[in-house]
Amino acid sequence: MDILLIQILHGLVYGMLLFLLASGLTLIFGLMDVLNFAHGAFYMLGAYFSFSVVLWTGQFWLSLIIAPLLVGSIGMFTERVFLRKVHAYGHISELLLTFGIAYILEDVVKIIWGTEPLKVKIPAILSGSLSILGGAYPIYRLFILVVSLLVFAFLFLILFKTRVGIIVRAAVAKKEMVGALGFNVPLIFLLLFGVGSWLAGIAGVIGGPYLTTHPGMGAAILIDLFIVIVVGGLGSIQGALLAGILIGEIRSFGILFLPQFVLFFEFSLLAAVLIFKPEGLLGESK
Amino acid sequence: MTQNRVWNWLLLFGLFLLLAVMPKLVSEFRLNLVIGMLIYSLVAIGYNMLLGQGGLLSFGHAAYFGMGAYTAILVYKHWGFSLLSGILAGGVCGALLGVLFGVFLARLRGLPFALLSLAFNALIYVVAEKWRTFTGGEEGLGMRRPDLSIPGFGSIDMFSTVNFYYFVVIIVVLCVMYCWFFTKTPLGRINVCLRENEGRVSFIGYNIYMTRLLIYIISAFFCSIAGALASSFQEFVSTATINLDKSADILILTFVGGRGIFWGPILGACFLTYLNDALSTLTEHWAIIQGAIFIALVMYAPDGLAGLILRTKNWLFRRFNIEKG
Repeated sequence: MDILLIQILHGLVYGMLLFLLASGLTLIFGLMDVLNFAHGAFYMLGAYFSFSVVLWTGQFWLSLIIAPLLVGSIGMFTERVFLRKVHAYGHISELLLTFGIAYILEDVVKIIWGTEPLKVKIPAILSGSLSILGGAYPIYRLFILVVSLLVFAFLFLILFKTRVGIIVRAAVAKKEMVGALGFNVPLIFLLLFGVGSWLAGIAGVIGGPYLTTHPGMGAAILIDLFIVIVVGGLGSIQGALLAGILIGEIRSFGILFLPQFVLFFEFSLLAAVLIFKPEGLLGESK
Repeated sequence: MTQNRVWNWLLLFGLFLLLAVMPKLVSEFRLNLVIGMLIYSLVAIGYNMLLGQGGLLSFGHAAYFGMGAYTAILVYKHWGFSLLSGILAGGVCGALLGVLFGVFLARLRGLPFALLSLAFNALIYVVAEKWRTFTGGEEGLGMRRPDLSIPGFGSIDMFSTVNFYYFVVIIVVLCVMYCWFFTKTPLGRINVCLRENEGRVSFIGYNIYMTRLLIYIISAFFCSIAGALASSFQEFVSTATINLDKSADILILTFVGGRGIFWGPILGACFLTYLNDALSTLTEHWAIIQGAIFIALVMYAPDGLAGLILRTKNWLFRRFNIEKG
C-alpha cells in the first residue's frame, strides 16, 4: 500500500480518537464554560479500569461496557460534589479544582497500578492485520476508527434528531433561557458531565492498547485535546470532528517529514486560529 | 485609620528585620528554601498584575520566567556578564518577548487570551527544547554564577549563599515595592478599571489596547527578572523553567495565595514552596496531598490564603467587639 495512504489512515485513527475525547469535553465546555483539566485523567482511568476488567474476566468486550460506565459515574460524582459547589466562585476556581482532581487521580492510579506501562490484552479477532487497498493494516486501528464513527453517529443522532438533543443544545447556547422554560438545568449539567466522562472512558478503553496504558497518558493527550476543541470551535461537535482529523493528519505527516516540528505546527495552528478566528473553525461567535 | 497604618508599618518593618537576620536564624540548607520563596514571590506578584488586578488569566507566564532564566545563563556563559547585568538582561529580553506576544494577546480577553498565551508558551518551549546547540535542549545548561561587580567599588563574592541571599532580597524587595507603587499609579488604576468595566474605560477615552499591552509587558518583565534570579541561583537552566507545568505552577501559587489582595501571592509562593519541600521529603505521594489541599482551598477559601486570613481577622474583631481602627 502507498505510504501516503497509510499515513492518512494513521492520522485518521489518531484524529478520531481525539474526536472521541474532544466531543465530551467540548459539550461540557459549551454548557459549563469551564475547561475540564480532569478529562485527560478520566481517559486514563478508562484505560486502567479496562486493564483490570480484562485481567479479572478476560473479556475485552465486557470492559468496553463496564469501564466507561464506571468513569461516567466518577465524572458525575465529581460534578455533583465538587464542581457544582465551586461554580459560583468563577472560572479560575473551577479550573483549579479540575487540576486538583487530575493530580489526585493520577497519583491514585500510580498507587494502585504502579508506574510501569501496562499492556491490555486485546481479543484475537482484533489482533493481526487486514489487507485493504492492496496492503496490510492492523485491525485494531480500524476498530478504533469504527468505534469512533459509531459514537459520532450516535451523538449526532441524539443531539440533532431527538428532543433530548434539542434541550441539550439549547442549554449549551442559552442556559438561562432553558432554565426559565422550566427545564432542570443542574440535572442537564450532571447528565452531560456523566456522558462526557463516559465518552472519555470509551476513548480510554480503546486508546489504551493503541497508545500504551501509563499514568502520564492523560496529561500527554490533554494538550492535543485542547487544541482540537479550540480549533474546532468550543461547544461544536462537528468542529471537534474536523479539528480532530486535522490534528491527527498534522501529527501523522509531521512525524513522517519533520518530526522535530510536530508540536510547533500544532501550536502554530492554534495560535493562528485564535488570532484570526477566535471562535474556532466551526464555532459560533458569542 | 492611623492606628491601623502604624500596625501595617510595624508589620512591614518586622518583615524586613526578619529578612535581614534570616541567615543567622536558619541553616544554609534552609536558606536555599527561603531564596526559592523570595524568587517565587516575585513571579507571583508580577503575574498577579494580570490575574488579580487586570482580571486576565494567562497560561503562558513560564515563557517569561524561562526566557529570563535562559538569558541570564547564556549571557554569563558567552559574554561574561556580571550578576546584576545578567539579571537585567534577563528582564529586558523577557520584556521584549512580552512585546512580541503582547501585540497579539492585548486584543483578547477571557478564554481566548488564556489559550493564546498557552500556545505562545508552547511555541517558545519547543524552540528551547529543539535548539540544542544554543539552549542545551533537554539536558539544559549549567554555568557558575558570576560575582557581583559594582563599578568603582570592586566585586562581591557571590559563591557564598549568604551573600547571594542578600542580593536576592534586595532585588525582590525593590521589584515588589515597585509593583506596590504601580498599583497606585494612574496606569495601575486603569488596569483595575479594565477588569471591572472595559466599556466605560474606553468611553472615558483611554486606549485599551495600549494599556493592556503596557501592563502585559511590565508583568512579563518582572517574571523574567525572577526567572533570571532562579537560574542564577540554581546555576543551571533547563526546559523545566519554561514548560507548561511551570505556567500552571505560577497560576496556582498566585491563586492559592489570593489574587484579590496585593500581598496574597507572596503568601501563596511561600506556603507552596514550603509545602512542596516538606511533602516531597515526607512522602512519595505528595501529589495527592497537594491535590486535596487545592480542592479544599478552592471549595472553602475561594479568595485564597490571604482571604482566609482577612476573614479570620474580621471574625476575631467582631468576636471580641474590637472597633476596627
